[in-house]
Amino acid sequence: MTEKTITIKVKRQDTPNTPSYWQTFKVPHRPFANIISCLMEIQKTPTTQDGKNVNPVTWDCNCLEEVCGSCTMVINGQVRQACTALVDNLKKPIVLEPMSKFPVVRDLQVNRERMFENLKKVKAWIEIDGSHNIGEGPIMPDQDRAKRYVMSECMTCGCCLEACPQFTMDNSFLGAATFNQVRLFNLHPSGEMKKEERLDAVMGEGGIADCGNAQVCVEVCPKNIPLTESIGDIGRQTTWQLIKNLLTK
Amino acid sequence: MARPSKDEIHYLLLKLHSLTGIVPIGAFLVIHICVNSLRTVGVWPYQLSIDAINNIPFLLIVEVAFIYVPLLFHSVMGFYVANIAKTNVHRYRYPRNGLYTLQRLTGAVVFVFLIYHLGTTVGPKLLEGKHHFEAAPFLIDIMNGEFQTWQGIVIYAIGIVSATFHFSNGLWGFCVSWGILIGEKAQRNGAIVFAMIGLVLTVLGMATVAEFNMNPIPVEATVAR
Repeated sequence: MTEKTITIKVKRQDTPNTPSYWQTFKVPHRPFANIISCLMEIQKTPTTQDGKNVNPVTWDCNCLEEVCGSCTMVINGQVRQACTALVDNLKKPIVLEPMSKFPVVRDLQVNRERMFENLKKVKAWIEIDGSHNIGEGPIMPDQDRAKRYVMSECMTCGCCLEACPQFTMDNSFLGAATFNQVRLFNLHPSGEMKKEERLDAVMGEGGIADCGNAQVCVEVCPKNIPLTESIGDIGRQTTWQLIKNLLTK
Repeated sequence: MARPSKDEIHYLLLKLHSLTGIVPIGAFLVIHICVNSLRTVGVWPYQLSIDAINNIPFLLIVEVAFIYVPLLFHSVMGFYVANIAKTNVHRYRYPRNGLYTLQRLTGAVVFVFLIYHLGTTVGPKLLEGKHHFEAAPFLIDIMNGEFQTWQGIVIYAIGIVSATFHFSNGLWGFCVSWGILIGEKAQRNGAIVFAMIGLVLTVLGMATVAEFNMNPIPVEATVAR
């Protein structure tokens, strides 16, 4: 019996500043295998289809259960996590590319620092530290807790930004993940105290007004976060903030 | 008052881009298509409405301030916005992504169409100085000629469909970005309502084209008393 193999095409790049190139690998087929285990196979014997020995392909991964977001890459043209991409469900040959909206570090690894910088811009946290005891916070209504739970599942993977036609390498668009965080923390009774600062942070270049409502973000979000609802809600909050700013500032 | 920062200006310009698409431009489109569709009822009510419009005091100033300037602003901002985007509907084939791409495409189509449309109607009207009651027979005469070739019909069909689509889809975009429609259901229902508005406007527009094509009736100037 001949062993079944899977062909995997990988878009590779040696350093952040060198051009990318393609290499094709063949790995033995194992049922229920995911992309990560295929990449591990390639790592074991990094030989291309035409017998050339090359450096093993590098990639990022951590939790292997679609919770951390670090193995996000473009698989067969669609952005998703490699850990939950099972080879049996994918069209062959499988094409792997790094995300195109973030700078490539090496091969399938990208630098998603922009996302974390954006979280800082909108103060995506609740301030509880002071020079004195600030006491207990207000109680959160349960329906808000339920709403926030879904939003809080964001793992900063970058799928929504990779698939967003408005988000590019050369602009400063904040993107759906960031707007969702603004809504998440504005809905928190203690977080609400920084509401206006967060809204002001999304009312500028690259802010909420730059969203073109293509709504691909919500389609590709692996955590099924209602991102477009968050965008609509931030739209409403910023509209009131705009009116308030115009009339009171 | 402090001078607005670059970020504030950027935000306000984008908001104004969204707003001008609804008022005055969208409102004008609705009035324009509805008034013109009077042609399907008869030449007389149609001429009467053109007479009424062309006797608006300070018409040129009103047109410049409420149509041409907002339209130019909306167009310039539109090209800027479209230029930022990197459409990816070939990769992510979702209906809303298709509409997003079409919104940018139809915007450009309408822009080109409007250059043609103004060039054949308002342009000659202003050049030949046809004002007040003289405007209606002059314009009706032009429009009678516009739809006698299939090329004319195709140009107007593309222009009308692009404009009504751009308006009704833009109405939805406005409602989402200003936070009027938030929830998934609300956004879907809104889209259905706006699609129907767009459809009605398209039918009215195309009916007018058909009427002009089939019954090109020349008119005399209404006598002012």
